[in-house]
Amino acid sequence: MERAGWLFVLPLALVLATGYVWPLFQAGVNSFHLNTPEGIDLGHWTDANYAKLLDPLYQSILERTLRISLIVSAITAVLAYPVAFFIVRLKPKVQPWLILVYVSPWLVNTVVKSFGWSLLLRSNGVINTTLQHLGLIDAPLHLMLNETGVIIALVPGHFMFVLLPLWAAASGLDPNLKWAAGTLGAPPWQIFLRVTLPLTLPSLIAGLVINFTMNMTAFAAPAILGGVRARTVSFLAFQVNLEQLNWPLGGAIAVGLLVFTLAVVWSGQRLAFLAVRSGRTRP
Amino acid sequence: MSLEIEGLEKHFGDVRAVAGVDLAVGHGEFFTLLGPSGCGKTTILRVIAGIYPADRGRVRLGGVDVTEAPIHARNMALVFQNYALFPHLTVFENVAFGLRMRRLAREEIRRRGREALELVRLGTLAERYPDQLSGGQQQRVSLARALVIRPDLLLLDEPLSNLDARLREEMRGEIRELQRRLGVTTVLVTHDIQEAFAMSDRVAVLEAGRILQTGRPAELYLSPASRFVANFVGPTNEVALAAIRTVGDGTLATTSGGLAIKVAARPGTDAGGKAAWLMIRPENLRLFVAEGETDNRYEALVEDVVYLGAATSCRLAIGDLRLMAAVPSTIGARLAPGVRVAVGWSAEDGVIGHDR
Repeated sequence: MERAGWLFVLPLALVLATGYVWPLFQAGVNSFHLNTPEGIDLGHWTDANYAKLLDPLYQSILERTLRISLIVSAITAVLAYPVAFFIVRLKPKVQPWLILVYVSPWLVNTVVKSFGWSLLLRSNGVINTTLQHLGLIDAPLHLMLNETGVIIALVPGHFMFVLLPLWAAASGLDPNLKWAAGTLGAPPWQIFLRVTLPLTLPSLIAGLVINFTMNMTAFAAPAILGGVRARTVSFLAFQVNLEQLNWPLGGAIAVGLLVFTLAVVWSGQRLAFLAVRSGRTRP
Repeated sequence: MSLEIEGLEKHFGDVRAVAGVDLAVGHGEFFTLLGPSGCGKTTILRVIAGIYPADRGRVRLGGVDVTEAPIHARNMALVFQNYALFPHLTVFENVAFGLRMRRLAREEIRRRGREALELVRLGTLAERYPDQLSGGQQQRVSLARALVIRPDLLLLDEPLSNLDARLREEMRGEIRELQRRLGVTTVLVTHDIQEAFAMSDRVAVLEAGRILQTGRPAELYLSPASRFVANFVGPTNEVALAAIRTVGDGTLATTSGGLAIKVAARPGTDAGGKAAWLMIRPENLRLFVAEGETDNRYEALVEDVVYLGAATSCRLAIGDLRLMAAVPSTIGARLAPGVRVAVGWSAEDGVIGHDR
């Protein structure tokens, strides 16, 4: 039985190998060759594509991608706590339905969703016309075709990746801990800071890692709501791969984004781990 | 500090968890709320602590009304059944939590934290985490964490239920001794009669959100005010009575089977009319009694004998009346089913109760 165990893993392993590992490997191989008018020059190896990534234009696009992703993750972290604890206080039967509400944005195609956002956010969209009608603003706010639009669309879109683990952690918290802290003299904000937050931090970080990764690689929202003026790395990779048909440079961009995202996630987890541990042993 | 509760009521939806409770606990007293699960005892404790708001009634601590005071402003300490130690903090930090909330100086926090850990003999484990401790050690930490803030009131919510039998007995004595030494007013919630009796100055027996009887352990055991209390605090024989008469300075009860039993007069035993019951503890039945040795004496047939070590339990038949007797095993050795014995008990050992 133990030997046959890997058989159960095999189907998924095959799918991942052919659909994920192989294309990624191909992109990786391509990225070390030159693109020529005749096609990819597989005869020579080069790091010229990676050298191009240091171009200030590409660097600024990477910076923007990182900035947008961090802002979205930060907003999500702050918003997810009240929502998670609100849901936990409801009757157990009601909770899954509310979770479904927060998961629902993820069930809508991201392109459809982004066009939906553009109806709301554009200069003559619902929000701007309403605000102008109420006399709150004179000229339309620039809510899209910039970073603001991308952030507005990504926060609800990727909210569930933080909410779900946080909700699970919050429902697993022993209410006695809260009451113990209360009787010992801790007002509600101290209970949150000294008991609830440290005990839910690992789940928050797990959720933020997924959330951040999704933000870094989001495509539809930046493409539609960011446009060429607020290009992100994934949109750049799309342009280079499918408009310029420069697969070697596109491969380098993809590999670069992967390595950079992993590096940020790894160092973020490292920092959080140290913070939690130092919190544990504080004298 | 003294604690008074007046007319306390608490509902959860349609369920009346506490249905009008009054009680007064004196300064330094060890008071216990005893009852089966679901009788509302934990709810009362949580209302006292401020975890639940009271629907009606007042809670006063040292004469000051604290009914509306928030949980963190009551200076009470609560010890939980599952200990509720903070898993992310060391033993010392758990104990120091309440001191930090009081913003004491660092030196004082260290000194008092150490003292509290010494008090429960855990000084060497200060840097451990709760998951590295045994159940008994965790309970000691939670006790230290509660006592270190010098609470006006110590609340214990089934603190020993998660411990094994031997440890439970040990901790029972330890808590009682600490409580006496520190003189802290204490309210214990438990369903364990032995625990309640062993630790408490006074005990209140609860059922369905009401206090049935309050008294010293011996009072509850020997003079239960109702059948529920009699049965709850220990095994008892219940004999249905057909009539109760006052004869001289005592009472003569007649069973439905026509047996006459002498019972010592107590306040409230002569209320005729309602169906009445006579309650006798099994250990108060004496076997092989001579004529005139006890107030009541009957010929009985031994029907069943169960050896329990120190004591032997046997079922006796007096006519159609069945009684359980618990006798020392030295006497029990002389018993066997079918043996005829003389059984007797004194008039003081019978308690008459009425159906309400």
